[in-house]
Amino acid sequence: MTIRSLRAVAGVEWSKIAAQAKVRLVLVVCLAGPFVFAVAMRLQSSVPADTLFGRSVMESGFAIPLVVLGFAGLWAFPAVTSVVGGDLFSAEDRYGTWATMLTRSRSREEVFAGKVLVAVAFSLLAVTALAVSSVAAGALLIGPLPIINLSGNLLSPGEALTRVTLAWASVLPPALGFTGLAVLVSVATRSSAAGIGLPVVAALTMQLLAMIDGPEMIRRLLITSAFGAWHGLLTEPRFYGPIAYGTLVSTAHFLVCLSVAYRLLMRRDIGG
Amino acid sequence: MGVGPPALEAVGVSKRYGTREALCGVSLTARTGELHGLLGPNGAGKTTLLRVLLGLVRRDAGSVEIFGRSVDSPAGPAPDGVAGFVETPAFYPYLSGRQNLALLARLDSDEHSTCGRKVDRALDHIGLGAQADVAVSGYSAGMRQRLGLAATLLRSPRLVFLDEPTSSLDPGGARDVRVLARHLADEGAAVVLSSHDMAEVEELCSTLTVINRGQVIFSGTVHDMRTLAPSSNHVLHTSDDGAAIDLAAHRAGLKVAPGAEGGLEVSAELDALDSYVIALGIAGVAVRVLERRARSLESLFLQLTAHPGPGDCRTAPAHEATGRQPIPTVAW
Repeated sequence: MTIRSLRAVAGVEWSKIAAQAKVRLVLVVCLAGPFVFAVAMRLQSSVPADTLFGRSVMESGFAIPLVVLGFAGLWAFPAVTSVVGGDLFSAEDRYGTWATMLTRSRSREEVFAGKVLVAVAFSLLAVTALAVSSVAAGALLIGPLPIINLSGNLLSPGEALTRVTLAWASVLPPALGFTGLAVLVSVATRSSAAGIGLPVVAALTMQLLAMIDGPEMIRRLLITSAFGAWHGLLTEPRFYGPIAYGTLVSTAHFLVCLSVAYRLLMRRDIGG
Repeated sequence: MGVGPPALEAVGVSKRYGTREALCGVSLTARTGELHGLLGPNGAGKTTLLRVLLGLVRRDAGSVEIFGRSVDSPAGPAPDGVAGFVETPAFYPYLSGRQNLALLARLDSDEHSTCGRKVDRALDHIGLGAQADVAVSGYSAGMRQRLGLAATLLRSPRLVFLDEPTSSLDPGGARDVRVLARHLADEGAAVVLSSHDMAEVEELCSTLTVINRGQVIFSGTVHDMRTLAPSSNHVLHTSDDGAAIDLAAHRAGLKVAPGAEGGLEVSAELDALDSYVIALGIAGVAVRVLERRARSLESLFLQLTAHPGPGDCRTAPAHEATGRQPIPTVAW
């Protein structure tokens, strides 16, 4: 596999997803959603007090990206990252285009790598869009004001922005973990409905499992636990253990899912 | 350009899906400059064979050489100069024909600058230039088939696999495709044409392989196939056609009717025909001409594939069926 081949396949895949209305819609929702939320907060008298940093949404714009982050970790990240990852492979089955794709000058390995690269790129783009939009919405509609962290300390705007940025960065590994899961489901089931829907169901199931008073090890092995690891960045002193562990677990999920998906695709008879 | 060295040599290709033998030791050779027909009834294994040859399906046994190079892994890229499609070619419906071809051209080449020209040339060649910017979702089956041919041409092919390329086309479109296939062969490409249309194969191909239930039941030239096939239809001229018809009315396994161009048309197996001719002589009706009618490849093909094959790779070799004795023309 060469960089040129990878670039060619990824370019083709990117062109394909860029032409799809649903992909554009997801990006629009990621960009506009936080603004809609911030406007709603300004218009209503109450605040989402039962949510982490929900009480602060009218006091500091930096609470907006943190509330959005907490909410997105429940199911939005798995859903957003599955839109492309869960459809990129099964779409070829839906349209019957595997034979068209695989009778050209690129190997299955290169096609797989190119598609995964695009799925990962889209997940990163969607999460980044949501992060940037949330910060912008908070700063523009509420104001870049100091915020009280989880330990009760006041963070300056500069410090708050750094921590919010790190918090959003910490959800990238689990988001990619779900991208890997979506790719696996897409390849294994050859169904886009399953590829997009099952990761969301898996996320909700993992959150239910996390609520059960079971062994701590099980909770730690769930990718969804990594979505809440950023809480340690908003305390004094900060603790990074959950982030490191969550990153490790997410990376393992990502690699295992992609390895299995790769083997399935390489061994598959197309249309036979 | 004449027929050259083999572009494709598949030997003993087998493929099993679960307990079903899809292909049993199928061999096929296609030479450069040659149109090779691949015939067989539905479910015979033609498409599976094309999938194996195009690297879409993993074979269980056998070897495939393309341009003298062994093709071992089905997961590799399609060899340079190899192109084609199986069943109805499929494209991304939300993109236009031109956009689809542009993406395929990018998969084939690192030179983006030449892709546009190649795409335009291919579209013009197959007569889709006017509809090139319409989304493929709005294409008819025939237009998709044409687009599949355009996608094939993009690879400047020297070995082409066409799976029933005229099945969705109107007569004019089918004629254009036949001309294109002939043109490719004339330019030196080996063309493997899978078809249900026997007349098409007879018209286009010089060699053919007939498969039934995953086994080759004939492989050779069209001429060879004609000479091997038994005949059951004859033209008969007698001294008294009316009496000959009356005599046939009481005989089993025999059908005699006035022919469109004079004389009688006789449809019978050889034994029944022999006894009928003897009976005519005994009845005092002279047989002046008994001639086998020229047979189309279609009727020969139907005879070859009429008998259910064994469907088991462990039974007799597939080419055994080609050992039929031809029935000679009988004339007095």
